[in-house]
Amino acid sequence: MDYKNVLTTCPYCGCGCGIYQSSIDGQLQRPIPDQTHPLSEGRLCIKGWSAHEHVASPDRLTTPLIRRGENLEEASWDEALSLVSSRLMELRKQHGPDSLAFLSSAKCTNEENYLLMKFARAVIGTNNIDHCARL
Amino acid sequence: MEKQAFSPRIIAFCCNWCSYAGADLAGVSRMQMPPDFHIIRVMCSARVAPEWIIKALSSGTDGVMVLGCHIGDCHYISGNHRAAKRLALLNEMLAFVGIHPDRLLVDWVSASEGSKFQTLVTGFVQRVRELGPMEISGQEPMIKYQVAD
Amino acid sequence: MGIQEDQIREVQEIAGRLLLDKQVAAVVGLFSNHGHVGPHLFSSVDDLPGLALEPRYPLALDCRTLLSNFPKDRLGVVVRGCDERALIEMAKLQQVDMERLVFIGVACSDDQARQCACEKPYPRQIDVGEKVDGLSPLDDKKVQELIEQDMDARLVFWQQEFSRCIKCYGCRNACPVCICDECLLEETCWVEGGQIPPHTSFHLIRTFHIADKCVGCGACEAACPMEIPLTILNKLMREKLKELFHYEPGMEVSQRSPLITTLEEAPIRGL
Repeated sequence: MDYKNVLTTCPYCGCGCGIYQSSIDGQLQRPIPDQTHPLSEGRLCIKGWSAHEHVASPDRLTTPLIRRGENLEEASWDEALSLVSSRLMELRKQHGPDSLAFLSSAKCTNEENYLLMKFARAVIGTNNIDHCARL
Repeated sequence: MEKQAFSPRIIAFCCNWCSYAGADLAGVSRMQMPPDFHIIRVMCSARVAPEWIIKALSSGTDGVMVLGCHIGDCHYISGNHRAAKRLALLNEMLAFVGIHPDRLLVDWVSASEGSKFQTLVTGFVQRVRELGPMEISGQEPMIKYQVAD
Repeated sequence: MGIQEDQIREVQEIAGRLLLDKQVAAVVGLFSNHGHVGPHLFSSVDDLPGLALEPRYPLALDCRTLLSNFPKDRLGVVVRGCDERALIEMAKLQQVDMERLVFIGVACSDDQARQCACEKPYPRQIDVGEKVDGLSPLDDKKVQELIEQDMDARLVFWQQEFSRCIKCYGCRNACPVCICDECLLEETCWVEGGQIPPHTSFHLIRTFHIADKCVGCGACEAACPMEIPLTILNKLMREKLKELFHYEPGMEVSQRSPLITTLEEAPIRGL
């Protein structure tokens, strides 16, 4: 009986409510708010209650997609990354580094955000970097 | 009196087999009734779900009547038993929330009781007039946005 | 403090025996880890030293998930009065199979009973703890205050309370008897979407739909971030069920809700 209850933090806002995320055989089940969390005290908002839904959502992308013509077609990671890097370098050469902007996300880790910031400033040479929570 | 002037909005759920026929008889016999009610025909009084009544009373309807067959005469044998019990409990809940229990009337009208229908409706409309309009909408919601289909 | 530790030891002993004798595949209880306590599946005696009995978690929903995912196994579960009533009510709704559950009954202490203002703070069979008397819902101060108000004042009170609702669905998610696959509260024809606070129909529909199933566990109020006193209505409805139908949810699996039976089987009394 592989039932696990993992203590985690809600990834959405800055409150950081405690959630026990239950799972059976790797499949996520319902979230259980942590009654002993000093801040959330066993309560969650709608985002906390549905934070687990995106993991197994049927709407989730499973492969990179490249737009060819009017359609989005499945592609491999190599293809997608090569396309992105060649186009970025092309645009940077043609229109200058400040023609590119980078938008990061609160759902990424701090380390991933740092990486993107370094990429934008050091590699591309622009300070057009922002974050959905304007950090 | 100001309250007498207001025309209440009343919905009467009538079961197809008895009370709707009774209402029809009242109409055909040209019995005088106030015009302030709308009949919605259902197959049985048990079909009336509690959320219908809750939605009605909390969205501007001033009174709701549920009229079914007499106990023992239900076309579906015991549908009206469930309706009786469910609506009795619903009435108690509405009273705890502050909606006057007289705003929900549950009664039994057979197909030949046109005059009973007339009496019930006239009495109910008068009672709802006395109680005044149902004011529950209250404040405007803080957040309101279009929901995609 | 001392009483708690003794109780934990007793529960650990009983759970250990159940596991070692292979009477159950696992025991559902609470586990304490660095000050955080959450539901846990004790599949072996190794985890038992971390067993905790507080704070209260509604374990019934987890039991239901486990029983349906592992159809061949028996499960032990540490239950308080409310957990057991919730499981009995779920069994009536055919959500759990009582034959596959072994209860370790823990009676609540006086403090715990007072915290929840519980009517029956003990399970049917008490394995650990001493039975204390419950509190009548009419002794609850908030319930008394509501009953003393007149119709208009009651409406104003509830309008005010419900105006804080953020529609988190916490009350519904935490409730052990709110188990419909398609919830009416998510249908925009009954509760308009995109509105905060939601229309009063949200609360009224939920209160009535669980009126004949509510076991008085208080999980709804505990899960409400806006501290809306939901249990006042639930307690009053339970009193009315007793008065009108002599019926209490969560007592016996064989009993059926009066709202789905004929008047011969369950008449309306005292009207």
